[in-house]
Amino acid sequence: MKVRKLTIALAGNANVGKSVIFNFLTGLHQHIGNWPGKTVEKAEGTLYFKGYLIDIVDLPGIYSLSTFSLEELISREYIAFEKPDVVINVVDASVLERNLFFTLQLMELEAPMILALNQVDIAAKKGVEIDHENLEKILGIPVVPTVAIKGIGVYGLLERAIEVVEQGGANPSRIEYGKEIEDEIGKLTELIVETGPRYPARWTAIKLLERDEEIEKEVRKKNPEILEKSKDLAREIEKVHGHSCSTVVTSERYETARCIVAQVQKIKPRVEMTITERIHELTTHRVLGYLSMAGVLLLMFGSIFMFGGLVSEYLSGFLYGLEPTVQMILGVGIVKELIWGGIIEGAIAGITVALPYIAPFYLALYFLEDSGYLSRIAFLMDAAMHKIGLHGKAFIPVMLSFGCNVPACLGCRIMETERERLLAIFVVTLVPCAAVTVVVLGLVGRFLGVQWALALYITDLAIVFMLGRIAFKALPGEPTGLIMEMHEYRIPHLRTVVSQTWFRLSEFIKMALPLIVISSLVIRLVEILGYWEPIVTFMYPITVGWLGLRSEMGIPLLFGILRKELTLIMLATLLGPNLATLTTSQMIVFALVVMLYIPCVATIAALVRETGWRKAALIAVFEVLFALLVGGAAFRVMSLLGVP
Amino acid sequence: MIVSIGLNPQRGRWGRGRGFAKRLMDMGLTPGTEVTVVKSAPFRGPVEILVRGSRLALGRGMAERILVEKTK
Repeated sequence: MKVRKLTIALAGNANVGKSVIFNFLTGLHQHIGNWPGKTVEKAEGTLYFKGYLIDIVDLPGIYSLSTFSLEELISREYIAFEKPDVVINVVDASVLERNLFFTLQLMELEAPMILALNQVDIAAKKGVEIDHENLEKILGIPVVPTVAIKGIGVYGLLERAIEVVEQGGANPSRIEYGKEIEDEIGKLTELIVETGPRYPARWTAIKLLERDEEIEKEVRKKNPEILEKSKDLAREIEKVHGHSCSTVVTSERYETARCIVAQVQKIKPRVEMTITERIHELTTHRVLGYLSMAGVLLLMFGSIFMFGGLVSEYLSGFLYGLEPTVQMILGVGIVKELIWGGIIEGAIAGITVALPYIAPFYLALYFLEDSGYLSRIAFLMDAAMHKIGLHGKAFIPVMLSFGCNVPACLGCRIMETERERLLAIFVVTLVPCAAVTVVVLGLVGRFLGVQWALALYITDLAIVFMLGRIAFKALPGEPTGLIMEMHEYRIPHLRTVVSQTWFRLSEFIKMALPLIVISSLVIRLVEILGYWEPIVTFMYPITVGWLGLRSEMGIPLLFGILRKELTLIMLATLLGPNLATLTTSQMIVFALVVMLYIPCVATIAALVRETGWRKAALIAVFEVLFALLVGGAAFRVMSLLGVP
Repeated sequence: MIVSIGLNPQRGRWGRGRGFAKRLMDMGLTPGTEVTVVKSAPFRGPVEILVRGSRLALGRGMAERILVEKTK
């Protein structure tokens, strides 16, 4: 039998269970990458079903098809230009009205589509019942009720999708706007049809009235007169309604959604609060909310560090234990030194960070995100984050970066604008990660006492806060506010969480491991060639002259670029028992520089990926210079104060 | 009930944030819509509102630019 090919796109609001359906259908046959040239994720997967080879594309979760964000632009271009065979619009049955607003826009794009009425179980708990047959009649497209996390209705969805393709597309009802607007749309559509538009003509007309900048550009290229005409018509509508034309169109679309919902939805009034509502009340409470947040975060970080420490120790023990075997094969000499000391040890360094620490981090993060808790944290922390020009959502990457800067950098994608993404990334790379904490505690905490370590930490956070604030003032553009949905709490879907973690982890390994291995090889090469001496001499003016350190302390700082905790390990190896003879000021300055200077190679790799080479280099160079500045200043202040 | 978005007599017109007025409307906050203010986070934090059956968090700066009229 001949295999026929199909492309199905999943579209819908954020947090409606799109990725759960995606994971359910594609299992392990998926590929997550970026949209060409964009830092927006593209998830694709395949499955065989009823003689079809189906390619499923999970579009980003969005609320509209305007140009507010890159995600919206990508989605509408994909649907209009790539023309998937069917679009499955996933909607949250418990928030039908707002979800239908998006559905109506998809219908206007004139793509063949069906509706997945998801989370009908959560809706039922809220007392919401939806007559899906009636909804199907009104919209003119197939409607399938589903409970994706239990797999209910998901295959039925595919069957209906294939039916739609075999019948040559469903016949969606047309959304009629008010009379004045319909007249204008009609006039514009006629003009637009003649120009052979890339988007459907009626949709283009509506978007022109909404003053969509991308569409205006598109039309200007073809026929600037139409653009002028549309502006006149929009002004007329504005005069009649007293609101901007885009407001009028949006309002009418919502009014249509409201009318449809009124026909198909029944709500049973409830007296008691549901348990999820109680949890919501607790976790957003002005006192208890912060307390529970502190508890959750402490628990999360605590258990990850404990687990990570154990696994990391066990793993390194095992992996480094392979050295004699390797030595047996390669013998002793330069070849072994390079292969073992350079390549393999570099790989081990990467693996012992990735598996024990980063994997559980992602797991915990996706677990909290899927449950809905992260949005509550963003709600609580919004006011604090505004001090550095970011909004509440930015707290999530910042929180992550105390563990590891790499996932935190990638996590900055949740910020809506380019400017905020950059600002968040900058702040994130300055936050002391777990490895830095190890150095501070192992050096300053151990030899000078915990109060010094704590003081250092507070100083560092104050510096980060200050730099964030300066960067916020210096970067052009206005700060944006928080607009965020707090969806109902729910039990996370384990398979989706695990597969998201897996893909993030493999992304980390692919991105960071080559860099770690290469730099490890370079360092080993320098050692073999005996270049350390000249480098130490070369660094003398900085390490001794400016920072007041001992000359050999420059080497650990170079190693730290590979992995921050290597600074402590190398320092201990180089100084041996003399470690304790370092002066207070030397320890403090050293720890301070380690906290602030260059992000480790893995973080640099993440930076390059998210911001490009130029900005990544700029951030790295700035942080090195800044760390030296602060370190030198601290040294001078301490000598003035008479600190030994 | 929402009267208008992006305009608040005390705070002036919404400058360059036209995109955000559109965003608010896309989330369901169109003129004439009933909203319920549930609570706000301390230290001038965001406001929690219920609109069209969904729960939203709006930054204080955003919320202040929405002109509302008391019903009930």
